[in-house]
Amino acid sequence: MSPSRSVRDLVSKLVLGRGARHAVAVLVAFAAASASAQSPPKLPDWSGQWENVGATPSPDGGFYEPLEQVLKTLEWAPPSKPEVQAAVDKMVAAQRKAMDAMRKGVDPGGAVTACSFGYPALMIESPLMFEILPTPKETALIFSSREIRHVYTDGREHPGKDDLWPTPWGDSVGHWEGDTLVIDTVAVKSAFPGREGISVNAFGGIEEMQTVALLSPDARFGERIRMLDKDHLEDRITIVDPKNLTKPWNLRRTYQRVTHIHRMVYEDCEGEERNPIVDGKFTLTPAPQ
Amino acid sequence: MKTKTHALLAMAAGLGARSALAHHSFAMFDQSQTVTLEGEVKELRWTNPHVFIEVLVKSNAGAAEEWSIEMTSPEHLARTGWRPTTLKTGDHVTLNVHPMRDGVKGGQYLSGTGPSGPLLGGAPQQPEAAK
Repeated sequence: MSPSRSVRDLVSKLVLGRGARHAVAVLVAFAAASASAQSPPKLPDWSGQWENVGATPSPDGGFYEPLEQVLKTLEWAPPSKPEVQAAVDKMVAAQRKAMDAMRKGVDPGGAVTACSFGYPALMIESPLMFEILPTPKETALIFSSREIRHVYTDGREHPGKDDLWPTPWGDSVGHWEGDTLVIDTVAVKSAFPGREGISVNAFGGIEEMQTVALLSPDARFGERIRMLDKDHLEDRITIVDPKNLTKPWNLRRTYQRVTHIHRMVYEDCEGEERNPIVDGKFTLTPAPQ
Repeated sequence: MKTKTHALLAMAAGLGARSALAHHSFAMFDQSQTVTLEGEVKELRWTNPHVFIEVLVKSNAGAAEEWSIEMTSPEHLARTGWRPTTLKTGDHVTLNVHPMRDGVKGGQYLSGTGPSGPLLGGAPQQPEAAK
């Protein structure tokens, strides 16, 4: 199925507002253009390592920016449907309760872990550094968690319904408009096993977080990535999710050049774990001798 | 830090009252307390998921006690300018940390001073914010 048709099908199944119809039309244009676009004669030089402005990790294990500041300075404001917002509010209340327990050193329980951030977290909220490698037929975004986004710019469409299934990174096709990489991503699911919905979260300070939005597995993501200056990239993201949002959600994120290291260094999700939970409390074990 | 972030993501994944938390956290450190340690570096353990400064601190009785000072991941630390060679065995350091709640000799790194002066840990040294 062509991306245009799949979006039209989506529209035909759901009642959309005027704004949503406009955004879907834009995404259809993205997808249609991606099917016929050719790579530019000269690909932009985005070499180097990049990090999300406003999600910068600090040596103490937290973030430089407190959560309150992150919520104020980064764009959020999802147009969530009332029932979805109610679910988000419920999650936030539970998160605050859990954070209160953690501030007392107590494990709130119910651990669920994942070694991947997944999309769109990698672009919106992740503290991981990444590289972007544009090639004539594909641009790869490589993150320090060893997660990779493959954006095919060879004119292909998204796979047909029988050949497409949701993953934490989705399926991305794109095209170049001058020096701007335009991406269309579908078939995204939560990075957490067993969960279909995708949570968008804000992080800050020391172990502060807040879920900002919940997206459905039907969410469709448009991106426009371009270089602002030699040290900054910009990603303008449009999320269309008629199941959970009343209208398209527009977000902007900027990425700055990593200045103190000039090669990719990968994270290790497991490694030398020295903080086991014992009798419901977080602990620290001595260094292995 | 990544594991910690994953812990937070896990919490984010929790729906309703079923909030979830991963196995790793900085919750063992008392964020309301800050102590200053002075001693000699035994080892800078450049390990995932987190880096540790193992430092020998003299007790009131004069005995050397080993403290484990936890930092973020090598990837995140490297981005602030830290390297595995930033501290060497025998370096004299002064470290400000949030101590363990349970009295175990350990803490969360905040800032410090090494042989060459202040250790990294303050404001990020980054390009100007994007317009």
